[in-house]
Amino acid sequence: MANCFRLAFALLLTLGAIHAGAAPLDFAHQIVPVLREHCAECHTGDKKKGGLSMNTRADLLAGGENGKVVIAGDSAKSKLIAAITSKDAEKQMPPKGARLSPEKVALLRGWIDAGLPWDEGFAFKKAGYEPPLRPRRPVLPPAVAGRTNAVDRILDAHLAQHKSPRPAPIDDGTFARRAHLDLVGLLPEPVALEKFLADKSADKRARLVRELLANNTAYAEHWLTFWNDLLRNDYSGTGFITGGRKQITGWLYRALVENKTYDQFARELIAYTPESEGFAAGIRWRGDVSAGATPEIQFAQSVGQSFLGINLKCASCHDSFIDRWKLEESFGLAAIYATGKLELHRCDKPLGKTAKAGWLFPELGEVNATAPQPERLKQLAALMTHPENGRFTRTIVNRFWHRLMGRGIVHPTDAMQTEPWSHDLLDYLAVHLADNQFDLKKTLELIATSAAYQSRAQVLGRDADERGYFYAGPRAKRLTAEQFVDAVWQVTGTAPTRFDAQVVRGKVSTQTVSEMKLAARWIWSHADAGNAKAGETLVAQKKFTLASAPVRAGAVAAADNSFILYINGTRAAAGDNWENPEAIPLESRLKAGANEIVLVAKNGGAGPNPAGVIFEARIQLADGTVVTIATDASWQSTQSQPDAKGKFKVEPADWQAAVEVPNSALWNARVGKQLAMQLAQAATATQPMVRAALMKNDFFMRALGRPHREQIVSVRPSELTTLEAIDLNNGQILATRLEQGAARILAKQWPSSDALATWLYHFALSRTPTAAEMSLAREILGEQPTSQGLQDLLWAVMMQPEFQLVR
Amino acid sequence: MMNMSPLDPQNTRREFLQQLAAATTATMSMSAPRLFADEKFVQPKPTADACILLWMGGGMAAPETFDPKRYQPFEKGALVKNILSTFPAIPTAVDGVKICQGLERIAKVMDRATLIRSAVQPDLGNILHSRHQYHWHTGYVPPQTVAAPHLGAWMSRVLGPRNAVMPAFINVGQRLEGVGEQEELKAFTTAGFFGNEFGPMNLPYPEDAAQSVRPPKGMEPGRFANRQKLFRALVDKNPHREFMSDHQQESLLRSMENAHRLISSKERTAFDLALEPKESFDKYNTGRFGQGCLLARRLVENGARFVEVTTEYVPFLHWDTHASGHDTVAGMHKQMDAPIAQLVLDLEARGLLDRTLVIIASEFSRDAMIEGIPGSNARDQATAPSETLQEAKHYGLHRHWTGGTSVVMFGGGMKRGFVYGATADERPLVAVKNPVSVADLHATIFTAMGISPKTAFDVERRPFYATEDGKGRAVREVFARG
Repeated sequence: MANCFRLAFALLLTLGAIHAGAAPLDFAHQIVPVLREHCAECHTGDKKKGGLSMNTRADLLAGGENGKVVIAGDSAKSKLIAAITSKDAEKQMPPKGARLSPEKVALLRGWIDAGLPWDEGFAFKKAGYEPPLRPRRPVLPPAVAGRTNAVDRILDAHLAQHKSPRPAPIDDGTFARRAHLDLVGLLPEPVALEKFLADKSADKRARLVRELLANNTAYAEHWLTFWNDLLRNDYSGTGFITGGRKQITGWLYRALVENKTYDQFARELIAYTPESEGFAAGIRWRGDVSAGATPEIQFAQSVGQSFLGINLKCASCHDSFIDRWKLEESFGLAAIYATGKLELHRCDKPLGKTAKAGWLFPELGEVNATAPQPERLKQLAALMTHPENGRFTRTIVNRFWHRLMGRGIVHPTDAMQTEPWSHDLLDYLAVHLADNQFDLKKTLELIATSAAYQSRAQVLGRDADERGYFYAGPRAKRLTAEQFVDAVWQVTGTAPTRFDAQVVRGKVSTQTVSEMKLAARWIWSHADAGNAKAGETLVAQKKFTLASAPVRAGAVAAADNSFILYINGTRAAAGDNWENPEAIPLESRLKAGANEIVLVAKNGGAGPNPAGVIFEARIQLADGTVVTIATDASWQSTQSQPDAKGKFKVEPADWQAAVEVPNSALWNARVGKQLAMQLAQAATATQPMVRAALMKNDFFMRALGRPHREQIVSVRPSELTTLEAIDLNNGQILATRLEQGAARILAKQWPSSDALATWLYHFALSRTPTAAEMSLAREILGEQPTSQGLQDLLWAVMMQPEFQLVR
Repeated sequence: MMNMSPLDPQNTRREFLQQLAAATTATMSMSAPRLFADEKFVQPKPTADACILLWMGGGMAAPETFDPKRYQPFEKGALVKNILSTFPAIPTAVDGVKICQGLERIAKVMDRATLIRSAVQPDLGNILHSRHQYHWHTGYVPPQTVAAPHLGAWMSRVLGPRNAVMPAFINVGQRLEGVGEQEELKAFTTAGFFGNEFGPMNLPYPEDAAQSVRPPKGMEPGRFANRQKLFRALVDKNPHREFMSDHQQESLLRSMENAHRLISSKERTAFDLALEPKESFDKYNTGRFGQGCLLARRLVENGARFVEVTTEYVPFLHWDTHASGHDTVAGMHKQMDAPIAQLVLDLEARGLLDRTLVIIASEFSRDAMIEGIPGSNARDQATAPSETLQEAKHYGLHRHWTGGTSVVMFGGGMKRGFVYGATADERPLVAVKNPVSVADLHATIFTAMGISPKTAFDVERRPFYATEDGKGRAVREVFARG
């Protein structure tokens, strides 16, 4: 009894009365300073080391990764007290810095024992911004000065509210260059530019925007760069060597050409098809990888980042310190993709707990964790594109705004938990996309036809954004590596004729299709193909020699019921729908000298039924010769099965001639036209200039910032570096292009050096040179332009910031 | 050369401050990582200003080089399990310290070296060159969610160039195109999230290095200068200049200026091996690696910060001895012995060795019997038989060994004639004394260069450390002054 009294007395002396009803504990003046001094650095604001936040009473009571840290009313059982009094350097809190004095410890004890009194509404820092999830349709302010575009209605009001002037409009030439580079990634050709400038109609800018967006090939081949970065797809790179990675190029290219709606686009990437699988599958590394980098976790990270602007990289290892995402949520998303049991790991250590498939915003619905994986992915795809998932639409419109306007409404664009500088603008663009059936071109059109887009780029000082971002017009953007290379190829006319991406480009005329006559016959291994057994397989081979590498080559194939095509030891195509044959690009598969095609076809059905396979390639060589390789009796067939690369471990001894199927006409009647059309498309379609986005990453593009695409890189570096500049100064790739280009350009008849310089300025900068510029150009070109003079002028113009930026 | 000694600590410091200012401006862009504000660390006082990493790409067997074990000559029918070393040991300039026959010249300069015999690497399941090289060069095991910077990029980012015109990170001898696993090599030969400004200048062929800092082929200096003048005049006369006066434009122009300055500088002659006196050139010229060593010396003399010279990693070539190990290694000895010894002597003669850290290292070692470490579940990469020797092609260390590796460090504030750590004398040849992890080895190198292993940058709002989780600890014992 006496002891108890003494203790109570001591407390009274040091702290003032805590327990005594008369003088309640002063939370704000006694407890807050202690917590602020010793705990705040790691456990308040957006910091929550060990998952523990002390921002609010509820946060503190909720505890951290290792469970509760305080039990209100029981300091003896509160780990917090144990931690601040511990002598174990590994366990003690705070881990560094001064220990809490006994007085302070006693204070906190008393506070916990008193039931953790907390001043109502007090928080160490306002809870972090939590973006709204559902879409919101803002009320558009009235249009000002006839600026009716919704973007302008919002921004004009925004500027008026901030008492900021409206940015000045740009001239037609600047607009044409900006719109071309932003929407299709190319410089306007001088002839088209002149026509545009001469056009007097009021709606010509809007028309230009629509025309550019309607150029499906140019649009696709420009935005391919953006999507390859965002979906980390490439034609070469880490992982391909061991088959640990799969391209989605063919699928992506078609999706862009066809302008697949963005909801469907996302659904096909999540609930993947064999063609779009590469995104979800990620990169499989050989050997052991950390638990935070398995393909399942990669799936969660990629889906989070690409579609939602959520960074789950922290939460792949432990509860995030910087936002609200938790380890269980990352693993839950990963478990949707996992085909087996996925064990939770914290910082690579197993927790003895299986992840339960679950999605990040359960308020929209949940994935059925017990459903099979394909079903779970379908459910995830549906939730992602749920009409109430405003995060999905906001994320992509924000990325597009960034691409066109130089800075995100939420910035950086991968940090969608950040507050936008204009809620109305972001929310409007998002609902506009949904209103337009997720047609991304409509978003681009809306932005590009706004007066805001058509205003002068903001002049930035060195201290730009130091006091936060204030909208003052678009910002100049640096050309991407692909845009720069394309622009050089355009001006110099030196684009390559072959490309690496396995895609079919360009348009084909109806006449070409009608004139296309197939030489190929449907073949099988025996004459009784009309009654082939179900599951019967034909393995056919054709060897041939090409005098030179092809400049153009394409093929078509179809099989009743399925086929796999191997060319020179690589799987080149596959199909299982004979009524829908597809064009197969072959340029980069074939080579000068010996070539080998292996075709494996399989009959389907339950009982005996007709079987057949057809293949035809048209190969154009440099000298104009066209070589046709078509299935017929000259093909050899074997009973041996090739390996996954179409190679035989042991050379088959049973080669025999393939048999032309007697009832070819049956199939040809049904599918002959499509075969001809697809072959014409693959082998003869006229192609616009080959684009850099279709090429493998090379030294030059890498130097100019094209990423390695081992990780998702959604924003490229905005600045030219010294090493890049060295390449631009003396790199052989550029120097050679300029030399070839100068020869090509000089081969035309130029009335004068001035005419040549004017043409160059029109092409490169979409404007006429000033008198001062003209005189410099004249000086270097001379009366009769020389190749060297022109090369140097080309270089000096292409090195101008005005050229390297979309201003 | 600049008119001051590039290695004078005073000047280096002043330069460093200037460079830091330049580097700060260069990384103004919003996306560039900044030092992570929450992390507290003190940059140590550097004991070296420049670093040359001599990279034995492909797995240099320690028992065939710097950690000789019991010698087993080639005999038909000899038991493979008796093979620890296929080269006899020879004495060095340090009493009691032996290295392998074939390295006679290096043996003579071992009194300038700290020899770490206890470096260890993780197993990583499949022991693959590309992953272990990634780990060794970045300090992080791939895959990583952000692109991890190369050791040289850390030096470039934190320390900047030592001489303003000289790229801070130069990578000599490794082709990144046209070789096996090229994509895997590119993945770590990068500044990663630091951005290209801090990335490597790649010089795969030392004899062609001069070309990288010369005007394009066929352009004489007069024309090159004229072209630059035209460029600048057009910039000055550009009617839109004032409307683009943002930092993007300025940084672009500054980079163009920097590039031009290097290409027209005196320092560019450092890249030109043809300017080296023949007698000296011949001492180094054992091939591309030897020439690379010479190039590294010339670059460091002219203010380079970090130079890596590799024997080049090409699958199944050079140190990647999956067959005929003994013969191949004999060839590697020939390639490395003279130039490395000469590099050390030349740096010393020029008064540069004290402040230049020269490192010989490899992604792992090799063993005749064991893949990985004892108990490893790694798939055996070798096809050599494991019982008796029949053919010369099976004589050598053909399996990937991660249990104990040698690292040699010359100069740069390291002790001289010093051996740290040891491996067992009988198989398994694991590090039995003072094992040094990749993180601790990096911490040692960083500390010597004046970079705290805890240095962290803010990447996507997370700290990313110079050594994994900031936990690398420098091996204090190897520093000449504690």
